[in-house]
Amino acid sequence: MGKQEWGFEENHEVHAAAAFSIRNILESIMGNIDEKRSGKPMIHLGHGDPSVYPCFRTHISVEDALVESVRSANFNCYPAGVGIDPARSAIAEHLSKDLPYKIETDDVFLTAGGNHAIEILLTVLARPDANILFPRPNYPVYEARARFSPLEVRHFDLLPENGVKTLADRKTVAIVVINPRNPCGNVYTFDHLKKIAETARELGILVISDEVYAHQVFGDKPFIPMGVFGDIAPVLTLGSLSKRWIVPGWRFGWIAITDPTSILQETGVAGSLKSCLTISADPATVIQGAIPSVIKNTPKSFFLNINKLLKEVADLFFEKIKEVPLVTCPHKSEGSMFSMVMLNIPAFKDIADDTDFCMKLAKEECMILFPGSAVGLKNWVRVSFATEPKVLEEAIERMKTFCLKHAKY
Amino acid sequence: MENPTRLTKNKWLFRGNSELKVEPETTIRGALTLLMSNLNVSDDRPVIPMSVSEPSAFPCFGTAQVAADAIAEAVRSTEFNGYPPTEGILPARRAVAEYLSEYLPYKLSPDDVFMTLGCHQAAQTILHVLGGSKSNILIPRPCFPYVDVFAQKANLEVRFFNLLPEKNWEVDLDSVIAVADENTVAMFIINPGNPCGNVFTYNHLKKVAETARKLGILVISDEVYGHIVFGENPFVPMGVFASITPIVTLGSISKRWMVPGWRIGWLVAHDPDGILKEHGIITSIKQYFNLSSYPPAFIQGALPHILAETKDDFFSKTLDIIKESAISCYEGIQDVPGLSCPTRPQGSMCVMVELDISVFEDIKDDLDFCLKLAKEESVIILPGVSVGLRNWLRVTFAIDPSHLQDGIKRLKSFCERHSKIA
Repeated sequence: MGKQEWGFEENHEVHAAAAFSIRNILESIMGNIDEKRSGKPMIHLGHGDPSVYPCFRTHISVEDALVESVRSANFNCYPAGVGIDPARSAIAEHLSKDLPYKIETDDVFLTAGGNHAIEILLTVLARPDANILFPRPNYPVYEARARFSPLEVRHFDLLPENGVKTLADRKTVAIVVINPRNPCGNVYTFDHLKKIAETARELGILVISDEVYAHQVFGDKPFIPMGVFGDIAPVLTLGSLSKRWIVPGWRFGWIAITDPTSILQETGVAGSLKSCLTISADPATVIQGAIPSVIKNTPKSFFLNINKLLKEVADLFFEKIKEVPLVTCPHKSEGSMFSMVMLNIPAFKDIADDTDFCMKLAKEECMILFPGSAVGLKNWVRVSFATEPKVLEEAIERMKTFCLKHAKY
Repeated sequence: MENPTRLTKNKWLFRGNSELKVEPETTIRGALTLLMSNLNVSDDRPVIPMSVSEPSAFPCFGTAQVAADAIAEAVRSTEFNGYPPTEGILPARRAVAEYLSEYLPYKLSPDDVFMTLGCHQAAQTILHVLGGSKSNILIPRPCFPYVDVFAQKANLEVRFFNLLPEKNWEVDLDSVIAVADENTVAMFIINPGNPCGNVFTYNHLKKVAETARKLGILVISDEVYGHIVFGENPFVPMGVFASITPIVTLGSISKRWMVPGWRIGWLVAHDPDGILKEHGIITSIKQYFNLSSYPPAFIQGALPHILAETKDDFFSKTLDIIKESAISCYEGIQDVPGLSCPTRPQGSMCVMVELDISVFEDIKDDLDFCLKLAKEESVIILPGVSVGLRNWLRVTFAIDPSHLQDGIKRLKSFCERHSKIA
């Protein structure tokens, strides 16, 4: 019998887009980890997920809310595509607290996590020839999804502002701002955010404000939601439970229309969000059922404590990294869970670039950092300092050992 | 704060995506919204929903206690608050592999199993992986509408083959061969059937596999209603025929455990000859999960316990109620003028009922029938146009038996009222 011919084949488009994804990159680095061979436990500072550390455990009221939701048997049914109303209302109220106007239940759309919200937004905004403005460095999921959408991607450096205006043209649809910033750890000022809104207005584009790290600020600057400037340019605000409540495994997030002059309604964007969610995956109804209680009952002290912990480790990291040769951390993180560290590649004898650094560090020191080229900054690394202070100190020691071993001189 | 002048819509460069708009009656959610908005608010009677396979709304269809306990325990363990691997946590994948292997002539590996946000996302995933320029996929008519919608979004041309009502809704294999060509990548079946309520026999499924092999395509079998069978034909998983042609099955706990709100399912590759692997399909599936969302870690964490510890008496109790409702529905419809049910339902939670429009005075088609029924009798039934068959109805019987009886009574009253006087 001749060789069977099959009509299906691998999907190159999926591969090309997935190459940008965090999971893909982390998987290849994790492939180098061997705890037995290195004789040390793995230290994972490659993603913003401190849920494994007891000091970062979510609050008991959050667990209670979910268990209650499951036991009630009221949330075993399919949810509406946009989410169930009690959850949407709770989020709307929660967000309205920090805005000069109220957002309504119908302005909130529930998603299966922040990453899913990105998927929805880019699907909704994609049009033939359209382009979108991304910050550099950027959260890699935007890059991955944009390439799958497909939207042309144009990168801006946040200063100087005029750079944004020269990048945009009549096909630009939106600008993405991540505040507090992943991966850099900075927090935007009121004036800066206002300028971004004014620039967006001038260009006729909307602002996507990724606020998954909302309120996780521990420096001088307060957290200001971009929605505050929603009457200057329409804003789509992204949020999730993952970071503030330390439950990234729950996969629950939202897109909020923070657009008091209803431009997003008029231009059909709001309607498209609804349509897209009708056919897209849903966050589990049992989690949605827990949301009103989670929002209401998580005590302020929990959030204050988490921020206190983050400040402690952010400061510790900034001080301790100075002891590591051949690397520099120019800015102390003031928000999110990340810091960027610059590598002095020419001073290493056998490290080609940031990816090589991370791969070898994983192999030799059983430690994971995220290569900066994956966020748009070659020869930097992104470090998640959201861990226990002891673990962070051990991580610094391992980095020291590694850098000394691979130094030219 | 200053209040800048509001710009007109035309000054803004972004717009909604018109491709996302689907005609409401072509999706279940869309059709339901249409019908629900036609309800008469001054009708005091309870609304009878014979339109979605959503029995979890009724107390008689509660989930197994052991399942709820397992979730609570997983949450309290605090082991599942972090990011899971995108293809699913190993204990969950292993548990699904074991659960399915019980009914297969070979053992599945955990590597063959991918955890998804319900069967819904499992379908989306495989269709997106197969999508691409010029490819087409074969879908049955009638069919649960999401397949058509997802396939189009995945850039797959959709071609329909027929199911034969006179033959227990079996696949018209000649129509499959007629529409396939060199760009066909797969054919899709749903077994037990949605919307038809049929259960394919072993011999028929074998013929389906052989046809797929001849065409060089894989078979995607949506088995979300797996084991929900109460007629003559036992449930035969399509994976049984994986040595004939590569198979991908989609499943979940949503229907068997009555928990669609938990959003957990699986995509499984039955590929004993490594054909899907060789052609890069498995890698593409893995990569796709790196781009999309996945089920909550704590639900995955609870799954091994749910699959292993749910006792048979839970399943048989639920199945008994569904069977009773299926019989009640089928027999009740025999007495309703203008409606006929060509085949007794054998599985799943719904059945297709043919409308004889000529019997009615003032009903122009199935959508009109359903809209008027909603308004006059507060009964919601899905029009056949939503599943690709005009002038049929999809009736869901998996509801509380007393509600079902009430629903059938009202349906009869409606049809009698609208019949032409003989």
